[in-house]
Amino acid sequence: MEFKARDYRDDDKLYSLNRVSVSSHPLCSSPSKSLSHTQDHGSIEFFDPLREVSTEILEPVEDIAVAEKHPASRQTSHLSSKEWSSFNKLLMQRFPVPKMISVSSVTSKTIKGSKATVELPANTQSDELNDSQKLTEGGFKTVSQQEFIKRLHELKDEIMRSWQSDDRVTTLKLSIKVARLLMDTSVAQFYPTLFVLATDIMDMLGDMVWDRIKQKAEFGDDGTKICSLSDDFDANSICFEAKETCTNWFRKIASVHDLLPRIYLELAILPCWRFLQDDVINDLMRLVTMIKGVADPLASAYCRFFLIHCAQKLPQRDTGHLISCISDLKIELTRIVSMKETKYGSFLGDRRLVISLMEPTIEYTMRCIFKDPNQVGDMIVNLGLVNKSLELYGEVPWISIILHYLLRELPTAVICPKAVEFLHLVDCSSDYSFDQCLNYKMLGLKLCEEISQVNTVDVLIDEVVKVATRRKSLDEYLKILDAYMDIVLQYKMGDYLSSVLSAIFEKLCNEVVTDDELASLQSIILKLVTHFDDMKYVFDLNYFVDILDVMHGTSRSIVSMHILNNATRNDHINDPTTIKLLFDVAQSLHDSVDFSNTKQDDNQQAQRLIARFIDKVDHGTDLDRHLTFLVDCRGAFSTMNDLKEILVHSSNLLATRALRLRSKKKKDNLNFIKSCITYNEVTIPSIPSYSRQLILYLETAEVSLLGGLISHSDGLLDSAVSCLQDVNLLDGMRKNEDIDGIVSLMRKLCSFILMVPGNLEQGVTYLPKSILSLLDSQSWITPKLRIKILCSLLSLFATFSQNELPYHAVHEEVIGNDRLFYGHATYSQQLVSLSTIILHNIIDIIPQESSQNTRGKLALEACNCIATSLKVNDEISSVCSKLVETARSCLGPNDKYLQSTINFVHKQSPLSVGGK
Amino acid sequence: MSVEIKLSRSNRTYHPNEPLQGKIITKLPSSLSHRGIQLTVNGSVNLQVRGGSAGLIESLYGVLKPVRIVYLPISLSPFLSLSQCLLVHHGRRALRFNHLGRLLQAQHRQCIPFSIILNHKGEDIKFYETFHGANINIQYLLTVDIVRGYLHKSLSATVEFIIESELANLPQKPVSPETVFFYITQDTQRHALLPELKSGGFKVSGRICTQCLVSDPLVGELTVETSAVPIYSIDVHLLRVESIMVGEKIATETSIVQTTQIADGDVCRTISLPIYLILPRLLTCPTVFAGPFSVEFKVTIVVTFQTELYNVQPKSDPRSFRKWVAMESLPLELVQSQ
Repeated sequence: MEFKARDYRDDDKLYSLNRVSVSSHPLCSSPSKSLSHTQDHGSIEFFDPLREVSTEILEPVEDIAVAEKHPASRQTSHLSSKEWSSFNKLLMQRFPVPKMISVSSVTSKTIKGSKATVELPANTQSDELNDSQKLTEGGFKTVSQQEFIKRLHELKDEIMRSWQSDDRVTTLKLSIKVARLLMDTSVAQFYPTLFVLATDIMDMLGDMVWDRIKQKAEFGDDGTKICSLSDDFDANSICFEAKETCTNWFRKIASVHDLLPRIYLELAILPCWRFLQDDVINDLMRLVTMIKGVADPLASAYCRFFLIHCAQKLPQRDTGHLISCISDLKIELTRIVSMKETKYGSFLGDRRLVISLMEPTIEYTMRCIFKDPNQVGDMIVNLGLVNKSLELYGEVPWISIILHYLLRELPTAVICPKAVEFLHLVDCSSDYSFDQCLNYKMLGLKLCEEISQVNTVDVLIDEVVKVATRRKSLDEYLKILDAYMDIVLQYKMGDYLSSVLSAIFEKLCNEVVTDDELASLQSIILKLVTHFDDMKYVFDLNYFVDILDVMHGTSRSIVSMHILNNATRNDHINDPTTIKLLFDVAQSLHDSVDFSNTKQDDNQQAQRLIARFIDKVDHGTDLDRHLTFLVDCRGAFSTMNDLKEILVHSSNLLATRALRLRSKKKKDNLNFIKSCITYNEVTIPSIPSYSRQLILYLETAEVSLLGGLISHSDGLLDSAVSCLQDVNLLDGMRKNEDIDGIVSLMRKLCSFILMVPGNLEQGVTYLPKSILSLLDSQSWITPKLRIKILCSLLSLFATFSQNELPYHAVHEEVIGNDRLFYGHATYSQQLVSLSTIILHNIIDIIPQESSQNTRGKLALEACNCIATSLKVNDEISSVCSKLVETARSCLGPNDKYLQSTINFVHKQSPLSVGGK
Repeated sequence: MSVEIKLSRSNRTYHPNEPLQGKIITKLPSSLSHRGIQLTVNGSVNLQVRGGSAGLIESLYGVLKPVRIVYLPISLSPFLSLSQCLLVHHGRRALRFNHLGRLLQAQHRQCIPFSIILNHKGEDIKFYETFHGANINIQYLLTVDIVRGYLHKSLSATVEFIIESELANLPQKPVSPETVFFYITQDTQRHALLPELKSGGFKVSGRICTQCLVSDPLVGELTVETSAVPIYSIDVHLLRVESIMVGEKIATETSIVQTTQIADGDVCRTISLPIYLILPRLLTCPTVFAGPFSVEFKVTIVVTFQTELYNVQPKSDPRSFRKWVAMESLPLELVQSQ
């Protein structure tokens, strides 16, 4: 057996393509070198504690789809009706409804009462419509939520049925029944849901009546069309008949005794006033004043809410009623707020609950008031917020909950120029209807939206700090300051900042920090972190690091992540103190995250950030220091496996940098490289994945060879091979892609071995031999893998046998085998004998492959490899023909690979091989 | 086999000098012979006395003889085919027919239009406006009878039509809303009040129209100025006062027409609440003073206070003087619109 001799220089010339120099990179689309890594820091989710969805809902109210409303040819109301229904949906979700609802006896009668009570009245006049029983009769009863809702749906169906059968009296009677349900506010948290369902019915009634009267106006008795009403029709154009019907409806409703149902019903058919008169606003305003007669704050608040909704169906865009609603509400809330807790306790029940139930109606009203940006000026005058010359009325207190929604809806253009005045307004409006501190916060957030417009910043912040300091609880202190932090930062008010931070730290030391406080603290810290580009400034702030130490839990992790993210935005981190502090931050992040659960995005995020931080750390020429840093990192982040790889890469990079430095003290330099390699030798075994280990061993071996450290690279290669010996079958190695990965790694290993000088002590062919024995000993190595590795080894030996190797190590002290063993007989013999073993192995192993197709291909691959590496004499050609036969039996004679292999082998030898 | 009357106006409301128009509609399975068709307009005031201020003997009379306003029997000849246009006039004037016959033809629907003049010039009939009260009923009926010989029951139908005063006959005085101020305190009450009401004191003041067009809402406003005891409800009662001459005596009875809640619960103090009442049709009419009877109206503002007693006491007449209720009555003159 003989190796084929090759001249790699000639081959190179022969096979390499002509090279043409170009000016630009073919894959680069734009000539500018944009750095993509500066842009990927935006992916971190920012958790705004304010936006957090309330998770308090005990039990979601059954999905009661509010029926789509068809505002018959009233396009003006279309948008607002959509808004209304979406608001209603939110309303139902907002308040948790207990399974059982306590209701008054009248309500329970309506809910549980038999449906047979619908009797036809002899006379359509008033008294039948008023089976008025007082609410005080009897005590409270309980009804299940489902039963209640079911009954309301039934009532709706009944109303619809009776309408369709032209039984208007029953329709009205049932509608009154529904409206009367709204008088019972003892249902408390169910009231919003009740309201939504009941007003849905009211809307339905309103639409039906409207359509009926419209039809009367448009069509005659005999069904002929008289006229067609435009959207903005005139009351004069309505015929007598239609007007008469319309008047009748209003008369019937007016005869209802109870105030609240009467208002609801009139509101339901409010748009019908247009058939009688052109100006409906007077009636709307009358209804607004009528609501004042409803003493129950909850009932009246929701009634106003419905009024605002109904007013939107009118073509006139008047806002007077909105203003009146707010001022009435103000009076009512003033009364509740000033009432003594004990007096009339039973009347108002839990006042906080009542106020919280009223809250959505205030929100909606305010939203409607400031809907039209052109009217803001008028509105604030009408609301009594400012006088005619747009100056804020001095210290006239507002009800804080109203103030809150006012601040929320007011445009920043109004607030910002008068920041201090608004602060005073919040200052003097303090009652328990709403947390004053949240109003400070709301104002702050509003001001931050348009920081450049804020006037008299110094006075403002000065007062804010005073206000906040007056607060006893840390939570409130933090909440208020948090909202104004952006202003402080924007206007670079360093003095305030440091005094605030020291105050915070002082307060933190004295108390146990609660979750709420942590959240505010987190928000403050994040504002600081994101404001400064360089973390150096942040860490330089007084007490910043101390405050950071007090934080714990998820907010600490979030803060840490932001700090790291912000810090790694810059190209290099080279300030030693910053590095130290960031290291601490990273360590705390590491300690807080459970890395065993790698599936969580959070963990990966944290891992990525720490990795990026390590990557960005730069100690300049002080390589020793950087290595120490890497050692520290390994110790600190021991549970992060991916990070260890990065550490090994970094250390390798460090070693090559040291090589490149070519310092005068060669000895020191060598020692440093040695320590880098030692670092790796220690680090690599702790990585669980074997293929990763193999890669890293190889990389480190390359680096050590680069440094001329032959014995190190020998040792590393040895470990690389032996690491494959411990592979556990269950390690997931059996997957195809892993096999392919190992093949390429082994090939890489073989091509690397070519550069490594043969070790005389262990034998020149020590490494290939150990690979061979590995192949024999390991049961997990599949025949396919074996053949491929054997082929690589065969190629390796063939290359070793050449007089001149294709490439050599860079380091001048590392001499290649071609020069070491030039003309050595025993060396050549060893190569040949090993090749013979490989040849036998190949022939033995190929039949073991179970898949026929793979077997054929493997045979051809081996055949090609043999024919390339060895001179084709009789012995070899018989081996080749054997392999070709195997391939033919597996793949069939027409396989193209087979054909080309036969051709190739044929060319290599004068004898013909295989079939014709 | 039926007959019905359909009036020309869907609200059935006519002024006395307007012709009462409409159709007699017959639905007959087969042709029918008849002995004449009779239309009758009958307007009357029905009076009855029960309880109230009437004495025992008067109440024994029960229903008094009705006061007739108008009675117009109009006979159509039996030799009459009603398929043609038909004009019916007041009794003494001749009736003109286009065609004579005696059979009503079997048609799915046969319409016989008519037109009746109620009030002829030269006759002075006082048409009171339609009113349905407790003791006094002012009612106008139109009846149709198709007489069919001795062995057959005659077909008939009756419909009520509503009379509103003639515009021209109304007094020309301008109806300016005449408002009266009122106030209700513990001292204005003539009945016994709960001791806490007496001691705590209260004041509800306001104003209300006392002259009002029947077609217009009754408006006003009221304010709870002070009240130590929480208010339960404030209602406005609309009352009718019906008086009937019985012999030498006048029997008067007051009854509630409608109650309307103005305030529900303990409303805010010093806030003005609107009073807005739409007067119910038929149950109200312009105030009438006739010889044998009169119809007047009143409004009462009733303030009910929260009390434990309310639950204990059985339901009683809302007008009776209860200890936790304060009230104020005001006369109300109703006028027909111009």
